[in-house]
Amino acid sequence: MRLAGTRYQEHGWEQVRKLLGQCSLHVFRQCTGLLAPDEMLDWYMEAMAVALSANAQLARGEAAGNSYGDSVAQLSMSLLYELQVQPSYWDAFMIALQADYAKQGAFWLNAAGEGALRKKINDMFATLRDKVDSDNYQAATGRPCSPNRIYTYRMLDTAYHDVAQIFANWEHNAAQVSAIFGREVLAMPIEVRQMRSIADCRAEWIIRWSESLERFRGTPGPLHTKSKRFASLKNNAEKIGAMLREIGEYEAISANLDLETWQQDHDEAANWLEDYLRVASEAVESEVPDRILPPGEEDEDEPETGPAPVAEAPMSEEARALAESRAAALSLPLRYIEMAAAAQDAGSWISRTLRDVSLPVRLAVYQKLLGPADDSYPQEWLDPDTSELPTVQQLATLDGISVPTMRKRRNDAITLLQAVPRTE
Amino acid sequence: MKSPDQKLQERLLLSRAVPGDRLMLADEVLLAALNGTQPLSVGELAVLQASPLTLRRFRHLALELRRAAQPAAANDAAWSGSHGMLRAAASTEALEALATDDGYWTLHFVPEGEDWQLILALNPAAPFAARLLRERPEVRVTDGGGAIVLQGQLDSDGECERSWAFPSAPAEHFQQYGAQFSVAPVSG
Repeated sequence: MRLAGTRYQEHGWEQVRKLLGQCSLHVFRQCTGLLAPDEMLDWYMEAMAVALSANAQLARGEAAGNSYGDSVAQLSMSLLYELQVQPSYWDAFMIALQADYAKQGAFWLNAAGEGALRKKINDMFATLRDKVDSDNYQAATGRPCSPNRIYTYRMLDTAYHDVAQIFANWEHNAAQVSAIFGREVLAMPIEVRQMRSIADCRAEWIIRWSESLERFRGTPGPLHTKSKRFASLKNNAEKIGAMLREIGEYEAISANLDLETWQQDHDEAANWLEDYLRVASEAVESEVPDRILPPGEEDEDEPETGPAPVAEAPMSEEARALAESRAAALSLPLRYIEMAAAAQDAGSWISRTLRDVSLPVRLAVYQKLLGPADDSYPQEWLDPDTSELPTVQQLATLDGISVPTMRKRRNDAITLLQAVPRTE
Repeated sequence: MKSPDQKLQERLLLSRAVPGDRLMLADEVLLAALNGTQPLSVGELAVLQASPLTLRRFRHLALELRRAAQPAAANDAAWSGSHGMLRAAASTEALEALATDDGYWTLHFVPEGEDWQLILALNPAAPFAARLLRERPEVRVTDGGGAIVLQGQLDSDGECERSWAFPSAPAEHFQQYGAQFSVAPVSG
């Protein structure tokens, strides 16, 4: 299914899910006990990034993940990064993991327990993708949307495909086709020929298809299960019809996909930031009340604000000399720190905000938020051996600190960036 | 154009966990701020900054506007005419300039005592600029009522200058005639 803004709703998702599951099992084999959820998340992110990039060139990773040109490996990586934007999904996973761990210890280390771990991982990413795509949909359309609504679109899309399949074979499914139409079907129904896309599918057909599914297949249809999930929908043909048409219309529009426009979008950070800064600078004190949209059905919480910044002394000459010897020990260019520092954009808002933060910590910030390899990185930042940023371990060594301290300082720096007003 | 710092700034703005985040400002409000017709209030700006989702909508609209402003790539050397509108905000002050919607032409109004001098200027970045500068065709500016405001041959700088011929001031005049104008080649 294609829907405005969404990335994870097409057939390729099955492969994304499998790749994330496979890599998760792989990294958990190196995990013998549990840490605090945020430490576990740091570990998981790093180990998964390595595992996923190892798969990027393999058949499963290279396969198309959607029709926008994202590969399975790319989609897996971007969903992994969403996990740190939405840590509540990780926390829910950790709660489930800890519950089983309390009873059985590191259950994932035996073959029987791998299935249980895979299921927890699947659940986490399956719910996360709908959250991410509902946000994507809202950004693309300006209309409110919840993860639940995305799930409903997908259910209707699946239902339509099943109905289309039944229609295509209508001679062999005469009784079921009759049930869907609500009348006896003796000859090829005109509606069957007229239904060219999901936009032509009528809501009543979906409702009657779901209603009669238990009779023909032995399992109740999605609108008629005991769960209350779609209970309100089965009496709302109008809503179903509107959603079916929306999917159909977007699929028709996106059939002439402008891949160039889509990819261009990724490279336009500078352009819209310019607009953002201009709009921010033009804001005025106003007498009239703020024009804020009323909340929808969902509750809202207070936005989070970060704690106070943590400052660190700038590097001394001595420390730089030390860093050079450390660079040599890591097989990085001897003057790595010096050259990487010179390649920074010293005038940027990021540089100014992080002026008291050491360079290795700063690079760890980029690594965490943009990934180890990004085509915007200057050559001087990369490890010539891997063409990626140095790993967190290497950065910690460069800075002469332990890996946990590096992670803590990096996370503090991110908090600092998030706390400062971004309107300069 | 992008630098890692711009990308990181973008990521920090857009990828933050804000539990219960939702679209906080309507498209009309965001578009009016982007177009400069109605700025955000300080409170609305604070709401925008605190909501990554609304910021993402803002980003989407900003990029859409920028794309719409870009000239079409195909057949770019052809030009059959450009249209423009008098902006509501412009009418309250003395009119200094009007631009066509595609940005290829600007009409400057230079006060000369009681009168005005009109200068039509071709944007050298227009895709058809090279051809027009070479051929120097006769062009015509008409108001919303179809009356000719200016007509003449483009000079080698891509400009054409005439004095204002109407009784009322330019802003008033355009306001009176549908607040629109067009620039087109004189055919034949």
